[in-house]
Amino acid sequence: MKKETTYAEILESRGVNRRDFLKFCSLMSVYLGYSSTFIPTFVRAMETKPRIPVIWLHGLECTCCTESFIRSSHPITADIILNMISLDYDETLSAAAGDQLEAVRKQIIKDYKGKYILAVEGNAPTKDDGVYCMINGESFTNVLKETAADAMAVIAWGSCASFGCVQNAKPNPTGATPVHKIIKDKTVVNVPGCPPIAEVMTGVITHLLTFGKLPELDRLKRPKAFYGTRIHDKCYRRPYFDAGMFVESFDDASANKGWCLYKMGCKGPTTFNSCPTVKWNGGTSYPIQAGHPCLGCSEPGFWDNGPFYTRLADVSFLGTNSNADKIGMVAVGAAAAGMAAHAVGTAIKKNKKQKSETANTEEG
Amino acid sequence: MGQLIEEQYVWRLPVRLYHWINAFCITLLFITGLYIASPVLSPSIGEAVWYHKMAWFRYVHFGTAFVFLANFIFRLYWALFGDDKYGRFAGFKPWSPIWWGKPFKEQLKSYLFIKQEEPNYSGHNPVAALTHFLFVFCGSLFMILTGLAMYGENNPGGLTDSLFGWTVLIFGSSQSMHTMHHVVAWVFPVYLILHLYAVVRHDIVERSSITSSIITGYKHKVEECPEYTD
Ligand code: HEM
Ligand code: HEM
Ligand code: SF4
Ligand code: SF4
Repeated sequence: MKKETTYAEILESRGVNRRDFLKFCSLMSVYLGYSSTFIPTFVRAMETKPRIPVIWLHGLECTCCTESFIRSSHPITADIILNMISLDYDETLSAAAGDQLEAVRKQIIKDYKGKYILAVEGNAPTKDDGVYCMINGESFTNVLKETAADAMAVIAWGSCASFGCVQNAKPNPTGATPVHKIIKDKTVVNVPGCPPIAEVMTGVITHLLTFGKLPELDRLKRPKAFYGTRIHDKCYRRPYFDAGMFVESFDDASANKGWCLYKMGCKGPTTFNSCPTVKWNGGTSYPIQAGHPCLGCSEPGFWDNGPFYTRLADVSFLGTNSNADKIGMVAVGAAAAGMAAHAVGTAIKKNKKQKSETANTEEG
Repeated sequence: MGQLIEEQYVWRLPVRLYHWINAFCITLLFITGLYIASPVLSPSIGEAVWYHKMAWFRYVHFGTAFVFLANFIFRLYWALFGDDKYGRFAGFKPWSPIWWGKPFKEQLKSYLFIKQEEPNYSGHNPVAALTHFLFVFCGSLFMILTGLAMYGENNPGGLTDSLFGWTVLIFGSSQSMHTMHHVVAWVFPVYLILHLYAVVRHDIVERSSITSSIITGYKHKVEECPEYTD
């Protein structure tokens, strides 16, 4: 077993200076919603806690989460985190491959039983014995189960691992299944987004490293610090929404003026994420700021709640692609037709009855 | 022609009040709800923050929703504990096979023209009670639960969200919940058509003054007098 080094030691050996280290600690405590009095806690934890190994698994996915992560906007953040967590096993970033890399994974599981973090990117296709994602001859489902069994914490990176994303959109040909539906005996932290914002990813992992426990989670097991409010409630275009000033096509005057994108299918009112506050690419912008409606990429089933550019979602109804209003109008039409037919029936019945009664009186 | 033989006081004031408050709220909720889903572009006259077209529709929707909810709870109380023979829903026992027996079948057969006779009930007939239950009770409950869950979303962890936010787990996502709230909204216009048709039809067939009964409270029993028919 390797000698346990602390984060501070590692950072020092990698040439991160004290000033950058403190900056990083303040940034993380702010992102995670702690007051400045907590900064020393972060610093102390980093200085004293032994480094935690991380196994980073890749299932059925597009690697966009890794792409996002390694482009963490503040270079020191990415640097520090990547050095810190050491990524003992990562199919995308590791130099080793095949048997060699698998041996590393098995070794970590053995050496750090119950002490390593499992980060999962992508999900597990469960149909046909999992043949749609094989790792060194083993199905990803099995690799996932084996690695999760002794992990101290399991993080599901991105919408794929958290909720399924495009792989398990209807009709889900490979039976793609999000991590929390496979690992049931442990809390799986969901960090959804397609991809998640880099700072959100570093924030979650820093919390785990410094406090040694999971951050506070919401109902869908997302860290509250980053997924606590809707895009819509923090969107700078909200006054236009309330006023009813909407963009109606991408090239109209309202679009130029930057009005609300609700009628362009904006899913901001139903999406929990940090885009309007943390933003993307080093706080440069986020989709709505660039004039594009939110797709709801961090919400469960967002591919099946399309189309992206209309407010009303498509609903399949009796084999057709319909929406709530079309279904409703068909139902109202059917009810009206049914009642009209029934009225005719009643009239005929009444006529018959009257005739037979008249006949009866005449006889009697 | 018929002859009036009896006047019955069927719908007491609480039931009539409930009925009209309910009808009013549902109409308003439906209109404002559809507007929320498909608002019209309305550029402001002045600052955007002074102008509240969309916000106003949502405000009316939510305000009405709470009146609707209070009214719903009141009717539930009255159905369970009210001292009201016709308004009590006491006989409504869909869990018991007996309830689905003769009275229900006869009423259904009559509606389906399989049977000649038209059973005449002072209160709700069993088929009507079932439709009220399915459309109005279940429909309202669904709208209330999903509505409150959506209402709480602006403040996760707040009171409304803590009480009703779990509803989202049934639908998977907030967006699917919006969609289902919208689909089920259409239950009410469908019900209204069936309901108005049934009321008017009973009135014509039985001449029981059922239409005005929900305003006045009185229904009439009418006996056919064959000698007057031409
Ligand atoms: C959105 C609109 C409406 C809804 C949801 C609705 C719902 C109901 C419900 C739930 C009842 C059962 C009463 C109870 O025991 O509480 C009822 C009864 C009744 N309603 Fe309505 N109603 C609506 C509109 C109307 C309108 C416009 C009329 C106009 C004539 C009407 C006439 C009646 C009558 C006559 C009854 C008594 C029927 C019986 O014997 O069951 N309703 N309605
Ligand atoms: C008869 C009852 C009701 C009807 C017909 C109705 C109808 C609707 C419709 C059609 C929508 C638009 C959904 C969409 O496509 O986004 C909506 C939204 C909504 N309704 Fe209702 N509703 C009813 C009751 C309620 C109740 C009891 C509440 C409780 C507070 C409620 C709260 C909401 C909320 C919060 C929204 C979302 C508004 C937004 O996204 O801006 N509704 N309703
Ligand atoms: S652009 Fe989207 S998130 Fe922003 S106010 Fe409009 S609907 Fe809400
Ligand atoms: S604005 Fe919406 S779709 Fe875009 S990244 Fe954020 S959550 Fe995803």
